[in-house]
Amino acid sequence: MADTSRYDRRTFLGRSASGAAAVALAGVAAPALLGACSSGSSTSTASGATPGVGTGTPRKGGTLTVGLNSEIDGFLPTTNHFDNSGLVYANTVYDSLTAIGADGTAQPYLAQSVTPNADMTVWTVTLRPGVVFHDGSPLTAAVVVANAKALQASPLTGPALSPIASVTATGPLTVQYTTTEPLVAFPYYLATQVGYVVAMAQLSAADASQHPIGTGPFVFGSWVPNDHFTATRNPHYWRSGRPYLDSITYKPIVQDQSRESTLRSGTIDLMVTRDPNAIAHLGSNPGFQQVTDANRQHGQNDVGFIYLNTQVDPLSDLTVRQALAYATDTAQIARLFGAGVLKPISSPYPEGSPYRAPDNGYPVYDLAKARSLVAQAAPRHGGAVKVELATIPDPRLLDVLQALQSMWGQAGVQATVNQIEQVTFISNLALGNFQAYTGDQFDAADPDENYVWWSPTNAAAPGSIALNFARNKDPQMEAALQKGRTNADPTVRAQAYQTVDMLLAQDLPYLWLTTTVWSMTGSQKVQNFDNPTLPSGQPAQGMEAGTFIPTEIWLEA
Amino acid sequence: MGRYIAKRLIQLVAITFILSIGVFMLVHLLPGDPTLAILGPNDTPTARHELLAQLGLNKSLPQQYWTWLTNVFSGNLGKSFLTGQTVANAVAVALPIDLELILFSQVMAIVVAVPLALLAARRPNRVLDRLATTTSFGMLSIPTFVVAVLLVLVFAVQFHAFPATGYVRFSTDPVQNVRSVILPSVALAFGSIAIYYRLLRADLIATMQEDYITMARSKGLSATYVLTRHALRPSSFTLLAGAGISIGSLFTGAFVVEVLFQLPGIGYQLVNAIFARDYLMVQGMALVAAVFYLVINFGVDFLLTVLDPRVRRA
Repeated sequence: MADTSRYDRRTFLGRSASGAAAVALAGVAAPALLGACSSGSSTSTASGATPGVGTGTPRKGGTLTVGLNSEIDGFLPTTNHFDNSGLVYANTVYDSLTAIGADGTAQPYLAQSVTPNADMTVWTVTLRPGVVFHDGSPLTAAVVVANAKALQASPLTGPALSPIASVTATGPLTVQYTTTEPLVAFPYYLATQVGYVVAMAQLSAADASQHPIGTGPFVFGSWVPNDHFTATRNPHYWRSGRPYLDSITYKPIVQDQSRESTLRSGTIDLMVTRDPNAIAHLGSNPGFQQVTDANRQHGQNDVGFIYLNTQVDPLSDLTVRQALAYATDTAQIARLFGAGVLKPISSPYPEGSPYRAPDNGYPVYDLAKARSLVAQAAPRHGGAVKVELATIPDPRLLDVLQALQSMWGQAGVQATVNQIEQVTFISNLALGNFQAYTGDQFDAADPDENYVWWSPTNAAAPGSIALNFARNKDPQMEAALQKGRTNADPTVRAQAYQTVDMLLAQDLPYLWLTTTVWSMTGSQKVQNFDNPTLPSGQPAQGMEAGTFIPTEIWLEA
Repeated sequence: MGRYIAKRLIQLVAITFILSIGVFMLVHLLPGDPTLAILGPNDTPTARHELLAQLGLNKSLPQQYWTWLTNVFSGNLGKSFLTGQTVANAVAVALPIDLELILFSQVMAIVVAVPLALLAARRPNRVLDRLATTTSFGMLSIPTFVVAVLLVLVFAVQFHAFPATGYVRFSTDPVQNVRSVILPSVALAFGSIAIYYRLLRADLIATMQEDYITMARSKGLSATYVLTRHALRPSSFTLLAGAGISIGSLFTGAFVVEVLFQLPGIGYQLVNAIFARDYLMVQGMALVAAVFYLVINFGVDFLLTVLDPRVRRA
């Protein structure tokens, strides 16, 4: 069962070809800019030790049980939807060609190197020698090419890989990707769903989505959907001495409260959540260690916001969108529903990000101004501004919408609040059959990953499917996004995305609300769950957006 | 008796057939289709068309129904559109959970409710009767999910006596299996205890007013003997009918408890499948649930005929 308590970018990525879209269409990063963005987790604990970072010599053995927030539909990258839980499963049984380092750069992982030509239209991936899949077959360029072709042929991922013109094996361990345009962030995308490599036997199997065969640290054992997933140590893992655990079991427990209770009861050792209340409760408990991605240093996290459909009345009127922005007290929203964990935002880019404009001009809460704008716009909309706010069935989000309804009502906007079942919600977003919907999206290691969501080229008219759900058609936005995606110079990119930030504040296709924070909380015996390394020995990115790498976790005796 | 059973069996088959049509049509009346869940917002017309053909959903509804029905008769309930898991396998995983929950919860309910009703009916309107009646009223008023959360907080979080969530198969570890179903069973039994107690108590009190009971008492038989040997059996018809309905309802109605305790039973799987528009999974699970409900009630009817031969002549 998918986590239906939120609707976010990963859900979109998981549930759409846009998962691959965010890979292939979106963007690219050259080695020169690989250091430009990255992520890191902030941590909190009641004890003195750094939570999630093991001390002493890793101990081999033991079984770790982890509570995840959702269940996925299978393990085949070409056909299944990898949300954060799906990526955790993938990190358990597969390896990706690249991984994100602690400094935010995309680094070789299963690949030994990833190098571009001068104009970044040809990327050469050299694989590590001597790597074998769990079925004993070797990792070769032919396998990687077969994976890439299967991804291209899939209705799920194929459309998104359209910028890749060809994939060919140029040697036993060398693969060449030729693209139709410069793909500067290409290495970043190899760290996502389309970067995992599965064995030929799995690709051709009838039950391919249910029996993963990878090169990863753990070998698939069993999967009972909505109950558990178990994998055991890969004795032939190419990263010598790893993994440390004998086995790992994931339990999808979709209810936040149930997951928290299960951790407290000792039935699971570690859990993932983005429920601010659970994060606050568990963070203050000295019996647990907790890490969060709240103070991420590189890239950008998911953020909470409201999609405003810029192509339907009355939200096609910029004055109305401005009125709503001025009427929205984000500080109050964060206070009421953030449990001290979430913060109000006025930009998708976090503070300190090179892509955040020093002053993007986003409207600051001003009720008088909101009232004035509503009065100004009302005559153009039959004498009253009426807006339908909607979300998926989720008590917390419903509370947020009811608060917004009240705030907007004070400004003279007649807002109604609805809850819509998730499949219909996605359909309405994609087809533009909505006015104002909740969103939780835009997590990215590289800012170009959001190209698909923000590009006017993906803003079809309502009634047609579009990935730019808000349907903002500002031509300046496309120019800025193109500048950012095709230019490897960090300074130029920073300028481009600062322009994007200002255009978003000016056009108001989204009303920014609060940050989104993910956390991992574990018992004291779980060691090193937020301290992965790259094959080079350099630190890798820790937990981010509910996804982690289990290779180097160990348990105290 | 044989004729009665044959008649009921024919009814059972006919109702199942009608139900299968109802389930099939209702599922296809849901807004949206599986391509949305599978392809997501990038559901392009071409990809959607290909996927519909691949799933056999481009055929007419009667054609789809006929294909499904013929497959069901050959034991093939189909495959999940999403996970590729066979529906039969999903049922095989889910069914033992529901059966175990029902067994444990109903045994608990009967074991508590019947003696309590006997005690209360022995001296109606006395302290014990009033206390039990008031308590049962309170038990009926508390939603199951509240009971479940309280049980978890006390017995799992506070005392670590039972796991808060999850299911362990009996074949994996019998002890852990029992531990994993105790709390959800208690949560489910909570409401049943109150219902069974109230039904049986009312019937017992009414039965105790019958002339043959007076006759038994006048012969000097003890109150306990009269209650258990003379009054209990004729007073248990309503209880039995109520139990049949309750057990049938629990088969899918335990959804809330299954979600809270993360038990992937039939109700849990069914609701997930509905949200994902996983048609074959919904149809398969709903059919199994409907057949279970019918079989349980058929069994109850049969028991009633054994307890009271007048029923089969009605």
